[in-house]
Amino acid sequence: MSAGPTVRPLLTVRGVHRRFGTGPTAVQALRDVSFDVAAGTMVALVGRSGSGKTTLLNIIGGLDRPDAGTVLVDGTDVTALDEDGLSRLRREKVAYVFQTFGLIPVLSAAENVGAPLRLARTPPEERERRVELLLELVGLADHAQQRPGELSGGQQQRVAIARALAASPRLLIADEPTGQLDAETGLSVMALLRGVVESEGVTVLVSTHDPVMIALADRAIRIVDGQVDGRFEGQVDGQVDGRATS
Amino acid sequence: MSERTALRPPGRRRPALHWPSIRGRALADAGSLLMAAAVVAVVTLLAGAVPPLLRATADDAVQDAVRRAGDDADIAVHARWERDDGPNGGRVRAPRLAEDVDDFRNRATDALGPSLRPALHPPVATVTSDTLKITDGSVLRTFQLTYLANDHGAGPRVTWIAGGPPRPAVPAADSHVEVPYEAAPWPVQVGLSEADADALKLRPGARIPLKDDQNRVKHVQVSGIFRATDSADPAWRLAPWLLHPVSGADGVGATRLAGLLSPDSLPDARLAFNQDQLQRTVWFTPDPGVLTWDSAQAITTTVVALKATSGSSSVLDSSLKWETQLDTVLRDVRTQVSAASAQASVLLTGVLAAAVLVLLLAADLLVRRRTPALAAARQRGAALPDLGAELLLESAGVALSAGAAGLALARVVAPGASWGWVVPVVLAAAAAGPAFGTLAAARATRDRRAPANRTARRSVRRTRQLRRATLEAAVLIAAVAAFAALHQRGILPAAPSGDAAGPGSGPDGGAALPASAPTLGVLAGTLVLLRLLPAGTRLALKQALRSRRPLAVFGTARAAATSARVLPLLVLVTSAALASFALTLDATARQGLADGAWRTVGADARLDVAPAAATSTPALARRIAAAPGVRQAVAAQVTDRAGVVADSLIVAPRLVIVDAPAFQRLLASTPLPDAPALTRLTATGHGDVPALVRSSDGSLRPGMRLELLRDGAPNIRLTAVGTAPAVGDAGDVVLVDASTVAAAGMPAVPNTVWVTGPGAARAVAASAVAADTVLRADVLSARRAAPLTSGLLRLAWVSAAALLALGLLGLALGAAASAPGRWQTLTRLRTLGLRPRDARWVAAGELLPPVVVAAVGGPLLGVLLARLTLGSLGLRLLTGQPADPALVLPWWQLGLVTVALLAAVAVVVPIESALRRRRRLSEVLRAGEG
Repeated sequence: MSAGPTVRPLLTVRGVHRRFGTGPTAVQALRDVSFDVAAGTMVALVGRSGSGKTTLLNIIGGLDRPDAGTVLVDGTDVTALDEDGLSRLRREKVAYVFQTFGLIPVLSAAENVGAPLRLARTPPEERERRVELLLELVGLADHAQQRPGELSGGQQQRVAIARALAASPRLLIADEPTGQLDAETGLSVMALLRGVVESEGVTVLVSTHDPVMIALADRAIRIVDGQVDGRFEGQVDGQVDGRATS
Repeated sequence: MSERTALRPPGRRRPALHWPSIRGRALADAGSLLMAAAVVAVVTLLAGAVPPLLRATADDAVQDAVRRAGDDADIAVHARWERDDGPNGGRVRAPRLAEDVDDFRNRATDALGPSLRPALHPPVATVTSDTLKITDGSVLRTFQLTYLANDHGAGPRVTWIAGGPPRPAVPAADSHVEVPYEAAPWPVQVGLSEADADALKLRPGARIPLKDDQNRVKHVQVSGIFRATDSADPAWRLAPWLLHPVSGADGVGATRLAGLLSPDSLPDARLAFNQDQLQRTVWFTPDPGVLTWDSAQAITTTVVALKATSGSSSVLDSSLKWETQLDTVLRDVRTQVSAASAQASVLLTGVLAAAVLVLLLAADLLVRRRTPALAAARQRGAALPDLGAELLLESAGVALSAGAAGLALARVVAPGASWGWVVPVVLAAAAAGPAFGTLAAARATRDRRAPANRTARRSVRRTRQLRRATLEAAVLIAAVAAFAALHQRGILPAAPSGDAAGPGSGPDGGAALPASAPTLGVLAGTLVLLRLLPAGTRLALKQALRSRRPLAVFGTARAAATSARVLPLLVLVTSAALASFALTLDATARQGLADGAWRTVGADARLDVAPAAATSTPALARRIAAAPGVRQAVAAQVTDRAGVVADSLIVAPRLVIVDAPAFQRLLASTPLPDAPALTRLTATGHGDVPALVRSSDGSLRPGMRLELLRDGAPNIRLTAVGTAPAVGDAGDVVLVDASTVAAAGMPAVPNTVWVTGPGAARAVAASAVAADTVLRADVLSARRAAPLTSGLLRLAWVSAAALLALGLLGLALGAAASAPGRWQTLTRLRTLGLRPRDARWVAAGELLPPVVVAAVGGPLLGVLLARLTLGSLGLRLLTGQPADPALVLPWWQLGLVTVALLAAVAVVVPIESALRRRRRLSEVLRAGEG
């Protein structure tokens, strides 16, 4: 489970607790969750609905704060950052892909992909070049001027992935990215993410419960009732060809 | 199987209400429901209270008009005496003549009828002689013999301080004596008041030196000197000269005195004069306190009928002849009330329209919040009629209870609150929520997806566009029809004789269309803006995409995404435009009142000098001109009803003889229009005297040759060389230069002084001459305080405030309705690295475009509609001007509307941001995934 002595993990999660609500109705979403993720790998978070996957991803990405524990992304303690620090983190190091794509409807695919670059004040020429490159990477170069409403679900998710990669993040968090897609399209999206890990060197943390998708990951971490299930993790490690760091 | 489906019996059935759902929804959305209830209550309060307030104002206006009319509103009933010819060719003395007068009074009272009688004070009968000249060689004084009898048959109570009441001229045994026509003047005794006796220097027993207009001597003896027990007795008002000498009653320079006849001396007075030289009259004075708008109509009808039954004056019988201006006074005030009523309807229609739109927006917001729950209920098996019935039960409960509360409050404010205007508001509040909710539930579960093929999608899109175009065309046609109706027949109802629908009776069919013209115009204008806004935001987005400012891109992107929403913009623009319309109406009416006061007075102050002091008027004007704070003081001779021959017809204009250059300077020191034609009055060489003319009916026109008629002096020929400025409220005016007309042989005797400047009022007050002082400020404040005027101005302000409040509420509701979508976008942008403080700018960028359109377009639309409609609203009937007042734009108030809307965005955005901050980004994203 721990990273090897010579490789510095990109993501370190230590002793994370998260509880929602108070009193007898309180729900303990995460209990003492700890793991590391090496750079340039694709890790699948596996678990049933309500097991705490999304809560964990939100805490890692700085969208939520843990009650206890620390999260280090590329050496930055996410839990210690203020709002501006988190904004900077999201602009520079962490990107998200959501189940619902999260595109801006009135902007074209190219403009959606360029949105993070606008926020990063990237010069227009460089922005256009990068957008073109990314749309080509996700296979949508011919759909650059189409709006999200004119694209299929799979195409929209590809645009979302391109947008997530626009600012060259170190960590890409994908929460059920294939949840609204059919199996075939979902597989192609996962394959795209796999390809991105290979080609861009990005670390991808993806939550899913589809065994086919899990098979594409370097490593799987199972969350059961808010805790990491070490038994499952060991099994998957063996299945995925030793690419996992542990 | 859900509880709903389990309980559903087969076949047709009544809706099955699921009370836990009703209660749960109501508790979950208590805030929104309470807000809708508050809107209904406030608008109901306003709509319910205005009609009774208007009715009360109309009653006040009727009473005020009758009070102002004074003697003109009195009803006088005349009847000739039966002839008193005796069997021997003479006249027979009638000793019971006073009883005859009582019978005459009773006959007139009986003829009044049940509708008129309660509105009148008890009658007073008078018998008056022709006026006689007092031949004591002093100044011109006249004398009248007068008999007064109130409803008890006796005259007003007096105390005899010397002598006694008039006695009969003959002993009782000879009371029926027959007197030959050519006999010596028949003696008659009268009583004199102390003041009259002092003025005549007569004591009891003395004979008053009198002659009639044919120089026949009258034998009138003083029986005694009396003092009125109550000088405020209404009977004395009919003959004030009985109590003291009154100047001017018989023309300029004449003073009238009178002698009081008693029942005993009345028969002698009859013999002392010719058959037709003694008039008997019964006077009825209206009691303004009991007059109401409702009774005014019946009274007018009765009075007109009585006047119509009056016999011709040439008919020598004793039938009753009715004379009064009461019907005219009441008809005029009814026209004014009808106008004010219609003007109020215009304002109320606007408020109600905005309120209905706000309620629709509130229902839309509520349904947006409830759509997931409704869809879930539908999926669990709830039938649409059941859901609709549940929603209707809830909204009807809220609307009816809030409406009842509003009406109850309205009844406290104004007893007799009306519910006619309230119906649309309560209906909208009750029906909108269920209608929207049922539609949302139906949409959520119907198996209808967007067609896959492009042609079918285009067809669906076109059908939607056609529906919208049809709706827009309907609004446009209604607006055009309303404008046409307003311009063709004006705002006043088309009922004959100004018998309009009463105030507070709600919008009657005929008046509703023109009264809704401004509101429909605003709606039509807003539809145009609704078409333009999406195009505008798309253009702005294109520009923003070319810029390097990411916040502008995201803000305009959100604005473009939400710009097609109809209700928020409709509420915002409608409220802003109608508020601006109300403010413009208020400003125009106020300026009209001010201009009307300037025109009526002609300056800051006017002195109407008594004839006795007229010779000193020029000196008086010079003295006033030298007083501090006086800019101009100009003396003029103003003669009403001067005789002027124009086109072989005699007209009776107001003749103004004034120093033309001085008058021009006077006009220049006032807001009254300049009259450059005044310079032509001093030009000589025409032969005729140059004159300026003004006419209300075209009988006097520039270019005409006129002839000024003079008693005992040659006429003066005039040439109309231009249009005269308005002088007071006279319709026809002839104005000549004093020096020019003096050169033609008619020296002016100034009787009027116009004074301008801040010290005018003080200067005329200190002038200490026998003159009536008219101050512009007094005239203006009296007109502003008139019931109808003050009521309408108050309503305009209340409407503007209510509309602005509704607009701000609409802005908040619109922002709340679009908040979930905005939060989603902002949260997604936050995951891309947008800073929290920048999120506010993006939110403002989304909210601003429709608000800017409303803040700028609304007032402009309101002003445009005011320009198009105010001319037809009959504001002149309130401002007292001969023509409708010119449009006045209250720029700072319109600016306030703009600033208020823009400032509201500056308030809404931080509040929304604070609310958003309470929720974690993860919560928003998770919620959005539903």
